[in-house]
Amino acid sequence: MAQEKSEFLKGTLDMLILKVVAAGPIHGYAISQRIQQVSKDFFQVPQGSLYPALHRLEERDWLEAEWRDTATGREAKFYKLTRKGRTQLESEVLHWEKLTDAVALILRTAE
Amino acid sequence: MRWLRRFTQRALLEKRLESELQFHIEQSTESYIAQGIPPAEARRRAVLEFGGVERFKEECRETHWENQWDIVVRDFRFALGCLRKDRRFAFVAIFALALGIGASTAIFSVVDNALFEPFAYKDSRHLVTLHLRDLDQANDWRGLFLYDEFQEFQKQNDLFDSMVANLPEDVVYSAGENSLLLFGNYVTPGTFEFYGVAPYLGRSLAPADYEAGAPPVFVMRYKAWINKFGADPSLLGKTFRLNGVSRTLVGIEAPRFAWGGAELWMPRGPKEPKIIRSFDGRQYWGVVARIRPGVSTQQAAASLNIIAQRFSKIYPKDYPAHFSMEVASFAHIVVPPRFRRALYVFSAAVGLLLLIGCANVANLLLARATTREKEFAVRAALGAGRFHLIRQLLAESFLLAFAGGILGIFFAWAGVKTIAAVLPDFTIASETVIEMNGAVLVFALVVGICTVFLFGLAPSLKASRGNLEESLRDTGKGLSGVQGGAGARNIVVVAEVALCVTLLFTASLFVRSFVALQRVPLGLHTDHVLTARLPLPPERYKTGAQLNAFFRPLLTRLKSMPGIAYAAESSTLPPYGGIRSEVQVSGQSHTEKWYGLFQLCSEDYIPVLRIPVLEGRTFTETEVNDARQVAVINQTFQRRYFDKKPSIGQKIRLNELKDFPDAVKDPWFEVIGVVADARNRGLQEPIDPEVWVPYTVTGSAMRGILVRTTNDPAAMAKTVAREIWATDPSVAMAEPGTLDHFLDLFTFAQPRFALWIVGMFACMGLLLATIGVYSVMAYNTARRTHEFGLRVALGAAARDVVKMVLGQGLRLLTLGLVIGLVSSLALSRLITSELWGVSPHDPLALVGVAALLLLIGLLACWVPARRATRVDPMTALRYE
Repeated sequence: MAQEKSEFLKGTLDMLILKVVAAGPIHGYAISQRIQQVSKDFFQVPQGSLYPALHRLEERDWLEAEWRDTATGREAKFYKLTRKGRTQLESEVLHWEKLTDAVALILRTAE
Repeated sequence: MRWLRRFTQRALLEKRLESELQFHIEQSTESYIAQGIPPAEARRRAVLEFGGVERFKEECRETHWENQWDIVVRDFRFALGCLRKDRRFAFVAIFALALGIGASTAIFSVVDNALFEPFAYKDSRHLVTLHLRDLDQANDWRGLFLYDEFQEFQKQNDLFDSMVANLPEDVVYSAGENSLLLFGNYVTPGTFEFYGVAPYLGRSLAPADYEAGAPPVFVMRYKAWINKFGADPSLLGKTFRLNGVSRTLVGIEAPRFAWGGAELWMPRGPKEPKIIRSFDGRQYWGVVARIRPGVSTQQAAASLNIIAQRFSKIYPKDYPAHFSMEVASFAHIVVPPRFRRALYVFSAAVGLLLLIGCANVANLLLARATTREKEFAVRAALGAGRFHLIRQLLAESFLLAFAGGILGIFFAWAGVKTIAAVLPDFTIASETVIEMNGAVLVFALVVGICTVFLFGLAPSLKASRGNLEESLRDTGKGLSGVQGGAGARNIVVVAEVALCVTLLFTASLFVRSFVALQRVPLGLHTDHVLTARLPLPPERYKTGAQLNAFFRPLLTRLKSMPGIAYAAESSTLPPYGGIRSEVQVSGQSHTEKWYGLFQLCSEDYIPVLRIPVLEGRTFTETEVNDARQVAVINQTFQRRYFDKKPSIGQKIRLNELKDFPDAVKDPWFEVIGVVADARNRGLQEPIDPEVWVPYTVTGSAMRGILVRTTNDPAAMAKTVAREIWATDPSVAMAEPGTLDHFLDLFTFAQPRFALWIVGMFACMGLLLATIGVYSVMAYNTARRTHEFGLRVALGAAARDVVKMVLGQGLRLLTLGLVIGLVSSLALSRLITSELWGVSPHDPLALVGVAALLLLIGLLACWVPARRATRVDPMTALRYE
């Protein structure tokens, strides 16, 4: 089961990251905090596993990164959505909604 | 440019990755501290929640394309290690792959060059040659025609687009003191347009060159220009003294233009007077035509037959009693049709070799996959992703394919070079260039490499199918494993063995035939004999007396030299005996025509070749000098035309001599001696009746010398040449060499080539079959390791296990042998024409091949069988 959950997570994690980053430039730690906070700790994964995903999305040109100072004066890597990433997010969200609607419909009516 | 910058700034990137992750941990720590947790504990929690820093770093690096290279390198290093651990497998697989690729490419290239694309001429598929066939003798009567005949054939333009002819001629090139003999061809108008090959330098012969009174010109072959004239471009436009005529060199032909095998071509218009002297004064032209599309060769032959019928009345001597014209495709003259068929069969066999090579590699890879099933299951269980496993297997396959491919290309290259080197002259058209066929090589490489990748990935497919538990539990255990796919593998082995038997059997027939050929008693001694053809300038040597004025002093001087025992003049070289003529014998009447061969020679001919004199004597020097009409005959002549009656003192008539340009008016000769039979139509044909007469009776026909030396004959060649030029500097020495060499060139070279080719096939076949048997047996025993361990643990002796494996192998071998022997016997009919002195069902060859194959096959089974017995029962049982 553990493996299945992680496979499931991998696909959705990308979408969640894109969604979180869409709100504006944000660094890795903040992203992880935000996901945990919003998901009410549903995603119990090592925090570090966020970074390979971030790098992968950057490699695909869905995200772009910039080093700048935080409010406390520390230098950090800030991620921001590219135009390509925005399109990707929109299509993924659309796809996800269709899927959940369909599943919800089946669960409701298949009794 | 981002990618470039990233590639050059890897250290910076590495530092940034580090600080990005550290930033996260620090932030996390600070937030814990803010919650009132002591700093040390806060940090511990933050690190714990984060997970393995190094692992995530590695995963981040993997997402960057520039790091893919490192991953590839790592995979390859790992693959190399795996292959190194199993060296025997790696070598056998690479070798099998390379052999399949190399052998099939080399042999296909040669066959393709020699048979399918031998000529570089325009539209060479529509080129045909003409032959006159003797219907009573089932062989060619002649493939050369008189000029009248050619002109008449040329008029049939409803059959042929165009037609040209060439006339061979020895050309003596006089350059100051020395003379050089060149092989020339007179060609008819339109020849170079006909072949459509652009010249290398200068120009080809043009229509104006053929006009009567045009300035004499000639063109040269590329090879002669390179080899004999040092590729000197300034020769163009220079004048050469050729056969007493000054001719200007106007062009060098393209490297692959070699029509008639000539070194130079001279124009010859229809109106020029006949100045050429062939052995009987008539000119015979080789004829080539371009057949009209849509006209069949049979149709063309039928029309030509009507013309030939008419000419047979005008030139009765040139036609046999029953004949027909034959029009053959150009390819026909390259390789005789019967040998062609055998070559097609061999080509098919080569294709099979490639397939079998690939099947072997597939078997080996499957065998390896089986023994590694557990390794992969364990690795998958330990968390290696499917993609990861596939990548490593791909690396392994790539290494195998790469090594096999490189070695295969080398094999192909070496094979082509070797075949081109051993290929005797005159076996294939002189236009043919033997070189590697790129398309075939690519095809073979692709087939081979695909096999490796396809079967190399097999274990990962199995491992990634997700059924790990089963793999872990059931790997290579029990009898059940033997069943899976065994049928297909066994069929491959049986097919390999059968093919190998067929190839080996064919090869051994060729060996036996070749040995038989070399054992043919010649009836004469060819050792220590130096020969040379001496084309004499025709304008000065017209009569027998003029010839004698050259040869007599030369022969006397040669004989007086140390190291020379005998020297003789001769008109042809043994074992090919002389000029064909109708003969008559006094006092004998017969309805059918009698034929025999005759030689124009000097008194020492018989002693030079050490032919035993049976009755009477040979001629004396005086008889030769006086051109007395005396004759020595061979035993076959005596037996066939005199029967048991005494021949000495009887008279025979050589009708052909009457028609020579320098005719013998009354060609009756008195028989003075009978000598033992010696081969006179080559080694394979029966001996013909033969007559020797003094060479001085006529000035016509080609001449040469035979010199018997006491030491190495080749060492005397220079001395002999010096004596010839001392006698007459305008005489060139043509084709000097030892008689043994001549014999080898014209008699043994072709069968030796066939032997070589077939031998190569057979060796490949044997090697591949051995590898095939080995790989399948190795696979089968590897699968049964557990079973063998169990058997040994239950008390079976090692001997029993070996016996079991050998028994299984023997069954496959025997089946293959039987199929192979049956098909060999069926197929050997196809090569009957290439065999001599051995039955196509030779029992010795059959038994030998069967024994050899059984022996090698059992050896190939024995190696894995031995390995199976060495397994410690405890290890084998734990092997799960």
